Amino acid sequence: MKRPRQSRPSSTHLPQHHDLPTNIINTTKMKLSSLLLPAFLLAGPSLAEHTSNWAVLVCTSRFWFNYRHLANVLSIYRTVKRLGIPDSQIILMLPDDMACNPRNAFPGTVYSNADRAVDLYGDNIEVDYRGYEVTVENFIRLLTDRVGEEMPRSKRLLTDDRSNILVYMTGHGGNEFLKFQDAEEIGAWDLADAFEQMWEKRRYHEILFMIDTCQANTMYSKLYSPNIIATGSSELDQSSYSHHADNDIGVAVIDRYTYYNLEFLESEVKDTSSKKTVGDLFDSYTYEKIHSHAGVRYDLFKGGAEEARRRLVTDFFGNVQNVEVDSGKGETNASFEEEMVRLSRTIAELHTRAEEQEAAERNATASAAKTGKKQQQPRKIQRVAKPLTDDNWWTKKIVGATALAGCAALWGLGSYLEGVV
Amino acid sequence: MSAQPLPSNDNDVSIATIAPKQEAPTSSKKLPPPEKPSDVRRRSHVILSFWLIVLLLGLPIWWKTTTIYRADLPLEDMLEWADGKACRPVFPLRISIQATSLQDQEAQNLLRLTQHALDDLNDFAGHHLRLQMGDEKQDSADNGSALTIRLTPGEGTTATLDPYEPILDITYPQNTIPSPTASSSALATYIASQLRTTFAEEQATISYLLSTDSMPSEHRPLGLSPETAEALAKRTTRSLKYAPTYHLTFSLFTSGPLPSSWDIETAIEEYMKPVLDVLSPIHNFTIDTQVQLYASPGVQNEVLNKEDLSSFINAAEWPLSPSIGGAPTINFIVFVGNQTIASPSQEAAPTSHSWLIPQWGTVFLLSLPGDTTHVAAATLKQPLLTFTSHLLSLTGTPESGSLPLRLSTLARIRSADLLLRASSTLGSLARLAMALPSISIPSSVADGVTKTMSHLRLACDNLGGTEGLAHARIAEAEAERAFFEKSMVGQLYFPDEHKIAVYLPLLGPVAVPLVMGLINEIKAWRKRRRERAEKGAEKKGE
Repeated sequence: MKRPRQSRPSSTHLPQHHDLPTNIINTTKMKLSSLLLPAFLLAGPSLAEHTSNWAVLVCTSRFWFNYRHLANVLSIYRTVKRLGIPDSQIILMLPDDMACNPRNAFPGTVYSNADRAVDLYGDNIEVDYRGYEVTVENFIRLLTDRVGEEMPRSKRLLTDDRSNILVYMTGHGGNEFLKFQDAEEIGAWDLADAFEQMWEKRRYHEILFMIDTCQANTMYSKLYSPNIIATGSSELDQSSYSHHADNDIGVAVIDRYTYYNLEFLESEVKDTSSKKTVGDLFDSYTYEKIHSHAGVRYDLFKGGAEEARRRLVTDFFGNVQNVEVDSGKGETNASFEEEMVRLSRTIAELHTRAEEQEAAERNATASAAKTGKKQQQPRKIQRVAKPLTDDNWWTKKIVGATALAGCAALWGLGSYLEGVV
Repeated sequence: MSAQPLPSNDNDVSIATIAPKQEAPTSSKKLPPPEKPSDVRRRSHVILSFWLIVLLLGLPIWWKTTTIYRADLPLEDMLEWADGKACRPVFPLRISIQATSLQDQEAQNLLRLTQHALDDLNDFAGHHLRLQMGDEKQDSADNGSALTIRLTPGEGTTATLDPYEPILDITYPQNTIPSPTASSSALATYIASQLRTTFAEEQATISYLLSTDSMPSEHRPLGLSPETAEALAKRTTRSLKYAPTYHLTFSLFTSGPLPSSWDIETAIEEYMKPVLDVLSPIHNFTIDTQVQLYASPGVQNEVLNKEDLSSFINAAEWPLSPSIGGAPTINFIVFVGNQTIASPSQEAAPTSHSWLIPQWGTVFLLSLPGDTTHVAAATLKQPLLTFTSHLLSLTGTPESGSLPLRLSTLARIRSADLLLRASSTLGSLARLAMALPSISIPSSVADGVTKTMSHLRLACDNLGGTEGLAHARIAEAEAERAFFEKSMVGQLYFPDEHKIAVYLPLLGPVAVPLVMGLINEIKAWRKRRRERAEKGAEKKGE
């Protein structure tokens, strides 16, 4: 049942919207008399910039012995918050509440290190999806934004083609799947399709996909949408190990891959002005530290490995906004703006006056029309009962009738057979 | 299973039970009693009826319940829209000329010459200026013209834009009126070039929009110079995506306990409301305000340089994103503290107090005497005026021209933008439907697509006019709704292993006896037929 993915004309059809400022295809339209010049490419110097940063941080396992997975996610959450991504742009999915677990020796806290220096569950934490809300369906809905009207904005991924997204996942996984809450799993294909739907709808500029599970690298092997840098903790048939346990808490508190990522982010990326690149981050992974072969996938990225490695860490983990400082010509500006406000007031007045006039005219004609129409109005007949929707009305009737007839026939058959015996 | 020899003790039992009815077998070897032909027939009927139920009832039910409903989408039409083949965006702008002082003949002649000059200047077929004779009494808004040229005789040739209405006042010396036979005229050329400069920005913006979209190259308009393209790219980066409603949040953050109140309502009424009013045909606005004391910014330096500004917003602690309603938020922040912005050069240039964050909002640093408890409306004048001008640029209003012109241009730019976005959404949906054969497509999506296309068609036909925006808005909303249809989700991909794992335990135990029974029955039937054939041959032989 493999679907014909290969035949998809993705490379030719994909809109290359995000990078247009760099190469605008510039066709010079000539007048009739002149020759037709071939289209030429303008390689502008300006970089395609992103204007917002989002983070989707997902833990997929519950229960006390998976304490470390929640700690993983919470430490990444703290890091992106430290680097300036506001809570409204972080989607945090936690299937369990370790802080309130009765087995927690330090109630109300979650630590990712045995030194217990930083309480990850301190004040100011906003969990968007918790408990049984963390499902594969909700995750895919979040990515593709196929949610109902009732979903609040804070639980939606409201990205556009200028948004960089960090997707971090952790949990228990296997070859091409990641288990969600012991009940279901997300496959690598599902993930790839979700990203493709996002790309089709221009819902991201660039994505950094990061996953810390056993056989993590298989999860990104099926991705096929452009502008994604993917990295995982371990290869096929490799486990991803925990870093250390806290004897008082009684379980492992963090995974190795996440631990060394954090170490890099804490020591090298102190604030948003850091110039460390994603390449530097990936180079810091070694087998000696992580005890598994961390993988990186660059081929989806436009410009390949070279370009991808040059992206700053803060392009994904931080919130870098380009600001435009005003010229500060205080007084002259003010008078200009004041003028504008004055103008708009006059224009608005003109508009309302015109509208009033129009409304008056309309009223006049309407009332004239009304007198003519008055006789027709009482004819309107109010129906006594009306089905609210009339689609499938007949089908429903037929189904009902058939069911009734079937029951009657069965009953008749039963009594006939009884009589025969 | 009847073909296999049964275990002997089973045989015994069967004989024992049916023995009284049958004659005992004559031979010493115990053989099963011959089956009655009626039993054989009954058995084949049983097996046949089981198979009939499976094939006629089970299979259709299984098929019906597991197929994915996919409404028919007009994929080709959708892709045509996305590729820009279905609609050639043209903006026929009508410009009426009011020339009361001229005679009809002269005015007609001037009009013809100016139109000629315009056509010569114009290199972008999509954006076309068409001149017409205006009626003096008619309002410019009524006859659907984008601009009115008012020609009045005067000393020299001058052109000024009326600040209140879309009117271009042109004065001309009496002797420059072209003679009826002239093939060119300085005045006509002058008017044409004036018109061109007036609409230059709009033209550039629209052609930039078209060029960034997936329009095929032959529809692509004029070549933009790299500088213009860059400036336009910057502007589109700055402005928010179109939304029918924006939510404006005015926040007063203070570094200490004071000031604790502000007269924001009056200030908004005074300095911002007029602009909101003139924007109202294009956008709705909702407003809320908040005050927070002891707010610490993300950067504590006394003097802020440009890099500090981007991390000035303390996103973790400032309550800046109200999740009320579905409208995107534009933030306007007044921060009362003693921090200042470093001037870019070392000279004593006037320091600025505010900066704009693209697609987000504005921050204004206000320094007040330490004991101010209440910020008066007059103090808020400068911040509010800054916010107002930033609001215009955040909504993507063009920068040149008189305000009425800028607004009507904004409406046209937005309709083009919405049109392109709705078309590209249609394309995405079509490609998605083709790429993911297992995604379900409910009929509401098909309805949405139909609606989108009809409104797109209407919008495309009325691009220069006012209904264009309304239709484009509906089209875009419908396209978004169709694309983000809630039920078009779920796990799309099930590996074959999963299917086997689900079906095998269910169907295996049922299928084995069914299939074996069928095979045996067929074998028995063939055997009977062979025997009958042999018998027939024997009879013939006799």
